[in-house]
Amino acid sequence: MNDYVVLKNINKHFKDFHASKDVNISIPKGRLAALLGPSGSGKTTILRMIAGLENPDSGDIIINGRVVNNIPGSERGIGFVFQSYALFRYMTVYNNIAFGLRVKKVPEKQIRERVKELLSLISCEGLDDRFPSQLSGGQRQRVAFARALAPNPQILLLDEPFAAIDAKVRLELRTWLKEMITKLHITSIFVTHDQDEAIEVADDIIVTNLGRVEQSGTPQELYSRPATPFVAQFIGNSIPVRNFDKFRFFEKDGEDVTAILRPEFVRVFKKGENIQFSKSAEEAVVEDIIFRGSNMEVRVRLHDNLISSSRSINEPPVDIGEKVDVFIYRLFVIDGDRIQLVHNPSLKQESVFI
Amino acid sequence: MEIRHDGGALKWILVTICFIFLAVFLLLPLGYIVATALGKGIEAYINAITDEYAIKAAMLTVEATIWAVTINTIFGIAAAWCLTKFAFSGKKILSTFIDLPVTVSPIIAGLIYVLTFGRQGALYSYLDSYNIQIIFAVPGIVLATIFVTFPFISRELIPVLTAQGTDEEEAAALMGAGTFTIFRKVTLPHIKWALLYGVVLCTARAMGEFGAVSVLSGHLRGKTNTLPLYIELLYQGYDFTGAFAASSLLVIMAVVVLILRLVLEQKGKKNLDIRK
Repeated sequence: MNDYVVLKNINKHFKDFHASKDVNISIPKGRLAALLGPSGSGKTTILRMIAGLENPDSGDIIINGRVVNNIPGSERGIGFVFQSYALFRYMTVYNNIAFGLRVKKVPEKQIRERVKELLSLISCEGLDDRFPSQLSGGQRQRVAFARALAPNPQILLLDEPFAAIDAKVRLELRTWLKEMITKLHITSIFVTHDQDEAIEVADDIIVTNLGRVEQSGTPQELYSRPATPFVAQFIGNSIPVRNFDKFRFFEKDGEDVTAILRPEFVRVFKKGENIQFSKSAEEAVVEDIIFRGSNMEVRVRLHDNLISSSRSINEPPVDIGEKVDVFIYRLFVIDGDRIQLVHNPSLKQESVFI
Repeated sequence: MEIRHDGGALKWILVTICFIFLAVFLLLPLGYIVATALGKGIEAYINAITDEYAIKAAMLTVEATIWAVTINTIFGIAAAWCLTKFAFSGKKILSTFIDLPVTVSPIIAGLIYVLTFGRQGALYSYLDSYNIQIIFAVPGIVLATIFVTFPFISRELIPVLTAQGTDEEEAAALMGAGTFTIFRKVTLPHIKWALLYGVVLCTARAMGEFGAVSVLSGHLRGKTNTLPLYIELLYQGYDFTGAFAASSLLVIMAVVVLILRLVLEQKGKKNLDIRK
């Protein structure tokens, strides 16, 4: 078995609050996994339990085949990067990184070499004598990363590692972190509420909601095959549509059945532009246009639903109030707990015609 | 540091109010103490403060203060630490009870101990069998001083520790640091100045304590008279020179503590500057 970190039937309460409900997770060695969910969904609790900062009420935490429930966090071979980094503010960068090694009574000469090595890894050479308050946000994050890595942990845990950094630096750091972790081949788990972050950085994503694990899988799997209605709504820019039976060719069986529509499921055509789906498209009015830099987000009103779609900036522009043709390729149909991807039936027919 | 540059009238009014207040309520009486103490000549003053009982009273005050500050420092750190870093039941009650000595009159504090350890008290016969005397003896004075001053240090530490959070301690613990190492390397540097300030406040209050100590001491001259009690005794005996001379001793002790604090603070700041 290749699974390095395994959580089995974990339950955790904080007084009356059920923070983790039958959580089952397994993360293979060397993978970079993201715990993704809205705030209060229990993702940080899971991370803290793996680190030994919280104890589960029931269930097993297994690291490298060993049940670690009763082993203190410091002996689980874990490096932890805190959300606000928790750098020791009265210690220099050097002493921060050296702290874990000094605790382990590593000879001072080795410590010096290791700190030097890590400082060059995070490209912060020469910052040895700075205090955390004298560093930029990005530098602090890197130092926190180096401090967590100093004692050579087998697992790296990161709690919202990019939350405290401004947008521009965040994008750089994401790429940097992914490169670092891939290079070091260390099993890593990070917590985030930002799906873009999870999709971009993680090999595997574990989606949590209300204390439960909704689905685990690669970003592609979550995107194309959401297992639960929550995942379908949470991933992508999803819009719920109740009256989807009003859309041409789509049928609805049952009053409580709803659907979810994503921008990439929809195509907006200028009048006359549409050749392929001329017969099956519907007419709608453009309500809003948002310039996104690389593309335009076009919002159209269709049967009382405000539907988003994107148009390339190389295509002829549309205007607000303009009548356009809208074609819906597919949508997720949700019936209770079941979810199904339904394609527009006309696709088959028209492709035959053309 | 200038916060407002438009200062003008408001600034000067506020500054004037502060200085007038200080002058009327602090400098004037202090000057009067010095003047009265020296009223009968420097010789009478020196005689008064080198009086055997005056010195004994001063020594007892110092002794009680050292005990109270030491014990309250330990207790204060422990209380502040457990209140801010751990979750447990009874936290609110503990937090409220810590403040009790400030809200209760010191006389009552004294009476509480008389009732507990006095002849009527349940503990009296037990302690007496071991020949331990608390009431009308030095232990009683130390107890009373501890009681009256015990919130000072923890109250200074709690806000600082709350603001700091527990992340840094958790980080250190995850790296395998023991409790003592965490306290020394992570927590202590953070609370150093608040602790120092708390110690100064505690010392000042302990030296001046009158009410609770008065109930417990029994006023045995040379044995259980602290400096404030001794001053009162002289004052009641119409020995104004003696009373004010002894008062000036207490004032000098207070000033020494304040200067000590200033020096330590300056030294600390210099250390910080060097680090930067």
